[in-house]
Amino acid sequence: MSRAYRITVKESLRKDLSASDEVCSCLEILEILPPEQMAELLRDELEKRGFEAEAEMLVRRDNGLTVTVDPRTGDISVKAETSDSVDLKAERDDWGYDDIGPGEGVIRQRAQEQLKQDLERRAGQQQARLQTEATEKLEGHLDDIRRELGKAVNRVTAEALKRKAASLGQIKEMTEDPESGSLTIKVEV
Amino acid sequence: MVSRLWGRRSCGKGIFAVLDGQKSPLPVSRFEANLLRIVRFFFRQVPAEEALPLLRSSQTRPKCLSAAAVHLVGDALAKGCVLYLVRAGGWRRDRFLRDGEPKDGRLWERSPIDELALGFSPHSLEFLIWLTVTKGEMTPVWQVPAEELTIGDRLLLFIAYEAIREERDIATALRRSSSFSEHPLILLLNPNDFCGSSLPDSVSFAEWTIGQGSLIVEALQRLLEVRWLESERSKGQVGDWDQLRQQGEMEWTLLDRFAQAASGSCRWDLFRFLLGVLGKLLVSPNMSPTFWTGGLQGGGPPRLADRLETQRSALSVLRQADRLRQWERRARTSGFLDEDYAASKFWLSEWERMVGTQSTTRAVQIVQMVEPLHNSATPDGMTL
Repeated sequence: MSRAYRITVKESLRKDLSASDEVCSCLEILEILPPEQMAELLRDELEKRGFEAEAEMLVRRDNGLTVTVDPRTGDISVKAETSDSVDLKAERDDWGYDDIGPGEGVIRQRAQEQLKQDLERRAGQQQARLQTEATEKLEGHLDDIRRELGKAVNRVTAEALKRKAASLGQIKEMTEDPESGSLTIKVEV
Repeated sequence: MVSRLWGRRSCGKGIFAVLDGQKSPLPVSRFEANLLRIVRFFFRQVPAEEALPLLRSSQTRPKCLSAAAVHLVGDALAKGCVLYLVRAGGWRRDRFLRDGEPKDGRLWERSPIDELALGFSPHSLEFLIWLTVTKGEMTPVWQVPAEELTIGDRLLLFIAYEAIREERDIATALRRSSSFSEHPLILLLNPNDFCGSSLPDSVSFAEWTIGQGSLIVEALQRLLEVRWLESERSKGQVGDWDQLRQQGEMEWTLLDRFAQAASGSCRWDLFRFLLGVLGKLLVSPNMSPTFWTGGLQGGGPPRLADRLETQRSALSVLRQADRLRQWERRARTSGFLDEDYAASKFWLSEWERMVGTQSTTRAVQIVQMVEPLHNSATPDGMTL
């Protein structure tokens, strides 16, 4: 007479997950002054806006979002990162028979493999969720960053124009409209 | 235009082939007749229905070819290459640079005859023999180190690929050979056939912007324009994100290398076909990136970086507008006493004729539309 026995298998998976998304571009800065001076103006303007110097780059970190600008070239990168740890556990019962069919070792091994696959699949789903979070965080902030950098570039250009005008002659009149961003400089050469 | 061929001699008999102007037919074997039929198919002198079955069947290689066969192959190459280049665009009265000066006329009027003579090495004959011997899947693959091939050899390989590129099985088999997959001219005319693989650094357009190579590219300007225009207009039907990205990456690499070679050889005129493409493509001021990416299915890759990469790749041809504008600016600064003054004036006249300012401005605007960090409030509005 055959007897059935139950095999209980447990597996666990602990993993650190991370996801990121990034957009790289280049600021359009007119070379009104020599490149080194334009870079200096850009550096000053960005430091006023919370960027910190790290080697030759300017970096601002805020809640998982990192904006990096190279003032020499105008290259900019906006990166969003998310991370999480998962500690997954799973348990499974299988049955074996002592007369015919696979032995306990085989049943246990199969059950462990299936549990591991299941845990990896669940970790993969977590990874995909993290990736979606990172991408949504990036997309959600791009507009604001674009507007802010646009203002910074306009300020840099205006300052460069003033310096250039001063080098050409005597400035007779200068009017600036902060709302529209227009700047008119009259110079007597 | 004259072509010379070096080949082997031996005996052969059976079938007779006629050389134009020859009073009596030359005897050739069945194998040699098939080889000649394939060669003439490349030059559109034999219909595909006759030649394709020969390409898909295997034949026993003879010990050697007869002198008559070698002579007839040489004659076919000499006349066929000339006819091909003339038909492709060599017949057109056009202007191209010669020693930094614009020269008018048809291809053979712009250059002396002795500069137009193409030379073929034994590799050309070996290639034709291999094609005739090998069955459709074409194993083993025929390939030769690039440095051993003459310009004439490369032209033959190019013309052969052009003739069979619509036959998927044969074209796929040929692409397994580096003599085809790393052939700059084949790549430039058919970038979509080679997507998905990275371009080796050894692929260079240097020899196609000087000497005889540049003359061939001159003749192919119209074909280049038509092919690239067709490719751009069909991008809107590509549904797969990866496919569009790979296509754009290959196009960017090819155009970048060709432009660098043309600039290095002071032959901007060889890149003129791209001005024609932009002029005919960007006819409306209201075009947007969806013209190129509107066919993409689904939301695309999960990462914004990957989606952006595909969108940028789709506009790889438009992104060449920056380079063209740089050339135009450089040309405008060339002075009367500068060495490149005549060439610069020529480029500017072509730029005006092909509405370069309008088309490159539109191209730049469309490229900027896909950039999420581009700020439309640029300093352009500043007045001094």
